[in-house]
Amino acid sequence: MNLDFLIAAADGAVARSPMESEARAAGARFEVRDGWNVAVDYPGVAAGPVGWADTSHLRTLELQGPGEAIDAAAGESLPFGTAVRRDDAWWCRLTGTRALVIGGTEPVAGALDVTSTFAALTLVGPLALEAFARFCALDLRPGRTPVGALRPGSIGRQPGILIREDEQRYLFLFGWATGEYMWSVVADAATHLGGAPVGVDALVTEPVRA
Amino acid sequence: MSRLGQQPGERIVRSQKLSFTFDGKTVEAFQGDTIGSALYAAGRRTFGRSFKYHRRRGLMCVAGQCPNCICAVDGAPGARACTEPARDGIAVTHVNALPSLELDAMRATDLVGGPFTPPGFYYKTFMRPRRLWPLYEKILRNAAGLGKLRHSQPEREWRTEYRRRHADVLVTGGGLAGLHAAIAAARLGADVVLADEGPEPGGQQLVGGELTEIAALVERARGAGVEIIDHGSALGYFDGLVPVWQNDTLHQVRAARHVFATGAIEQPLVFAGNDLPGVMLSGGARRLTSLYAVSPGRRAVVVTTSDRGLHAAVALRAAGVQIVAIADLRPDAGELARQLRAEGVPVFAGHTVIEAKGSKTVSEAIIAGIDPTHPDEHSFECDLVVVSGGAIPASSLLLQAGAQSAYDPARGYFALSRLPEGVYAAGEVAGADSDEAVTVSGELAGLQAAHGLGLGTDESTVREAALQQIAGMTERAEVAVPTVGGSDSGAGRGKCFVCFCEDVTSKDIHLSIEEGYDSIELSKRYTTVTMGPCQGRMCQLPSVRLMAQETGQSLGDVGVTTARPPWVSVPMGIFGGRPVEPAKRSAIHPRHRDLGATIKWAGDWRRAYDYGDPQGEALAVNRAAGLIDVSTLGKLIVRGPDAGEFLDRLYPNRFSNLKPGRIRYGVISSDAGRIMDDGTICRIDDETFYVTTTSSGAGAVEEWFGWWLADWGDRVQLTDVTQGLAAVNLAGPRAREIMAAAAPDLDCANDAFGYLDARQARVAGVECLILRIGFVGEVGYEIHFPSAYGEHIWDALMVAGQPHGLRPFGLEPQRILRLQKMHILVGQDTDSESTPFGAAMSWIVKLDKEQDFIGKWALEHYAQQPQAAALVGFTMPNGEVPTEGAVVIDETGTPAGQVTSSRHSPVLDRTIGMAWVPEALAHDGARITISDAGKTLTAEIQTKPFYDPDGEVLRS
Amino acid sequence: MPMSFLLECPNCGVREVTDFGFGGEVSARPQERPSFRELNTYNYFRRNVAGVQREWWFHRSGCRAWFIAERDTITNDVKFTALP
Repeated sequence: MNLDFLIAAADGAVARSPMESEARAAGARFEVRDGWNVAVDYPGVAAGPVGWADTSHLRTLELQGPGEAIDAAAGESLPFGTAVRRDDAWWCRLTGTRALVIGGTEPVAGALDVTSTFAALTLVGPLALEAFARFCALDLRPGRTPVGALRPGSIGRQPGILIREDEQRYLFLFGWATGEYMWSVVADAATHLGGAPVGVDALVTEPVRA
Repeated sequence: MSRLGQQPGERIVRSQKLSFTFDGKTVEAFQGDTIGSALYAAGRRTFGRSFKYHRRRGLMCVAGQCPNCICAVDGAPGARACTEPARDGIAVTHVNALPSLELDAMRATDLVGGPFTPPGFYYKTFMRPRRLWPLYEKILRNAAGLGKLRHSQPEREWRTEYRRRHADVLVTGGGLAGLHAAIAAARLGADVVLADEGPEPGGQQLVGGELTEIAALVERARGAGVEIIDHGSALGYFDGLVPVWQNDTLHQVRAARHVFATGAIEQPLVFAGNDLPGVMLSGGARRLTSLYAVSPGRRAVVVTTSDRGLHAAVALRAAGVQIVAIADLRPDAGELARQLRAEGVPVFAGHTVIEAKGSKTVSEAIIAGIDPTHPDEHSFECDLVVVSGGAIPASSLLLQAGAQSAYDPARGYFALSRLPEGVYAAGEVAGADSDEAVTVSGELAGLQAAHGLGLGTDESTVREAALQQIAGMTERAEVAVPTVGGSDSGAGRGKCFVCFCEDVTSKDIHLSIEEGYDSIELSKRYTTVTMGPCQGRMCQLPSVRLMAQETGQSLGDVGVTTARPPWVSVPMGIFGGRPVEPAKRSAIHPRHRDLGATIKWAGDWRRAYDYGDPQGEALAVNRAAGLIDVSTLGKLIVRGPDAGEFLDRLYPNRFSNLKPGRIRYGVISSDAGRIMDDGTICRIDDETFYVTTTSSGAGAVEEWFGWWLADWGDRVQLTDVTQGLAAVNLAGPRAREIMAAAAPDLDCANDAFGYLDARQARVAGVECLILRIGFVGEVGYEIHFPSAYGEHIWDALMVAGQPHGLRPFGLEPQRILRLQKMHILVGQDTDSESTPFGAAMSWIVKLDKEQDFIGKWALEHYAQQPQAAALVGFTMPNGEVPTEGAVVIDETGTPAGQVTSSRHSPVLDRTIGMAWVPEALAHDGARITISDAGKTLTAEIQTKPFYDPDGEVLRS
Repeated sequence: MPMSFLLECPNCGVREVTDFGFGGEVSARPQERPSFRELNTYNYFRRNVAGVQREWWFHRSGCRAWFIAERDTITNDVKFTALP
């Protein structure tokens, strides 16, 4: 036996985000991409000063072991508090013995696939920070949370992991089972600021390397 | 309309008219007016009725500090008319008067009830007969209070925004000091937020009409990057977090440094009739005049203890108010008094007011000399008594932050004596009382705050030192300290109010001391002084002075009551938080909704309780097959060379000898030998275990494992996949056929895939872990797979099961099924005192295990002790279903245990249950008596499972 | 005393106290088999000091690591935090 039953990749089955119903109700158009039903855009929904995209399809791997082993897998020394961009993935050290690899497709030896342990949302736009301020106590002021910063902490009263991917782009992970709840929290805050959901195709800017 | 001509600092925009209603009558106002200023301009003097005596109350502070003008706006009580902006179309109503503000029937409590309504009178008077208290309570609740909440509010009527703001420096108070502090800190690079209560910063300067200077300062502040929160009231200080309430937004400002420039609060004087409409604080009279161009009266008597009142007299004269007399408590009233006298204003030095008279408003004021041997009384006709009893620092927030205060005899108030680290005071709250001193202390505090953050330059350091020196040399103004003269001289003349919020008089304080409440904290609780909406702004100092006088203590010894949040009265709704409750939902949840399931909370999950027919669903599992979503189970992966040994140390039984592909039940015990949680452990390979926990225990078990791991340092890796994997349990006589159909590659024959075996197989294309376990007592397969395929697998199994009569079943039928098997629910059938021995699970405790394990010592002890109670099953010969929690009683009627679970079993067609009973009765056939809500029921004990007692079905 | 202080997670940095779980004061589990009295003392008795004590904290909303903090129970002043 092995732990392959953790891997969210299957023949003939489409993987679905826990926020799919919410995205559909908000007018999303879906496409199956790499086995995932992804909300790619929202036809007829005007973009606002803050947008949120369901990015739960991002592959997430967990690496555990001695710090040196994790650094060896990453190919460099992984710092605390900063996500390192490599192979289209964010390498995130959470503790001395645990790291997540978010995004990317390259295999990582010894890692567990925890993709469907975490749902994810990406917030973009000039008012993204203001939206976060309504459901999150993390200090996200640009000086304190520069591009590339990694901030594990409470988001929407749930355990969360936040990465500032770009000047106005933030990715955050949270528990899969809280997807519907978190969508309602983010939608409530962002809609009040004039925001609207966006599809992943609207996330045009490539996350920059820290 | 008593509007004055154009005032230099007026805030009203005369070209923009609006109107609202007060008790149904239309009131005209200008843009910039408050409800209070518009009503006053329209001639209204009575704004509300007091809390207890229903006395008329009018505008007093005009700064949102006293309780006198509390009203309801569009039905929401608690607004202060004097600061609440007048908006077009709002409906304002009075509070606490019946039938109307002008004709209040409850006024009788004042006229006749006075002597009969001392502090605590409710409890003294309405003690007996006790059965009438509900009636008394209803009457009293109608009679007292400052407004009514509407009972039915199906939806929250307004939305509160919660906004977190991190800052380097928060400056609370935007007067002269606050603005200078904010500018100084921001210029050194600090990220500064400034919160000010007013519609715009400026504080006292606005009243003085110094608009250009203030506008320039505000401009400089904004230019330096200061975020200004206007209309923002700081509610309290919580370890560096200050909630600032602004209209509908609660800014939760977390700052590294805090500057409080909260100013000072002008104090009333205690004398007979000091609450009559027309008795107004000098600041209030000035604000009405200069901000709203409303004349507070025609003929005024001014009573003061410092130059503050004299300045007001000058300003009021300029606005056309006739000053008929000034009583200044100081024997030598100083230069300003001499100037006024020269202009023909009668100034009585060494005098104060002893009574205000009038029916609806003030019509006469009596002043007297403070020397008791020469009363020297004078009476004046007037429609306004302007009072200035000095000003006390508005230091509540600072005290909440940990600042200390000490009595300053020269000032007659409690001044700040020590500030906590990172907290600064500036302006009047710090004792500065001239514009120059206020400016210096503001800039100084701003520089100190920035320097404390490591910001600054050589130049700024030099500047700080220079300002320190200037601050040390500042002269302070002359004040006189009132002895609460009014309370003595006023005695016999009428009520002298100490607390306007809750109608506490000087006599009440006197009485409370006589009754033994002779400390300020006790007196507060007894008389409720300082506990009303003003939060002590008007009454703290007078009550301390009275206490000192009556008990002969010094004011310093009497001390002040503890400062507590909220500093400003706010609607309860803003503390409610966002109206979204965090909820977890299984990946299959949309299907449950589609099927019309009853969804209920189960811990922090929303779960399918049943699909409308719990008994039928349970029966389907026993007769054919059922499918239940068990994704809420806690799921942990425990990996590493020490994984087996780690589990051996955490569980009373053994896992290191479990073979890969096999499953074992486990109960987690605390070191006290009590049951914490239970679940199954499946060995995947030599170094990998898959652990499940109860749904409600998932988080706690992960933390428990992690905690011991942190302590022991084993070579073990924990991964919580509770939310990552969905799980369903397929159970029933037809389950094997359905499983085989859904997983064609899997050999489901009993000898190939037996009870407590684990297998890995593809179901509808998805790799799954399949555990052959049977919580519900039938052949069962617990199928675990990635949450992303929740609906996909559910659908595939329902399709495969359709020819076999497969039905979905919810949590409630599962509870019936597990009870048939006497499978315990931790937390339902056990509590924090239950041990495995009591819960009939002695077999799971392996005391012969070579290594130490959590709970071993305690369990060894309990193994040798006779059990007082045991958890057993019972049936009801007469078919009643006792309430869960009903009491098991012994022959004397004494409680001896309790029912933990009870249900009707559809397959057995009888009542089954579990209960804790005395050990002596824990054998088959014993009879127990259950007392259930007044009924006495008889039950028969059964120790083996009700259904399939030997587990033949389960293992088949 | 309102509870809104900050705590520094050794892995993640400074966070609101509400991010964390409290694990109680640090006490050593007996190394050898304790007497029944010693066992009960270990299970049920706490020093409960008014002053500085060592205690366990868990970064529940972040990295989910346990760590040790030294905190003044009167002022909520946290002297230091460190991994065990």
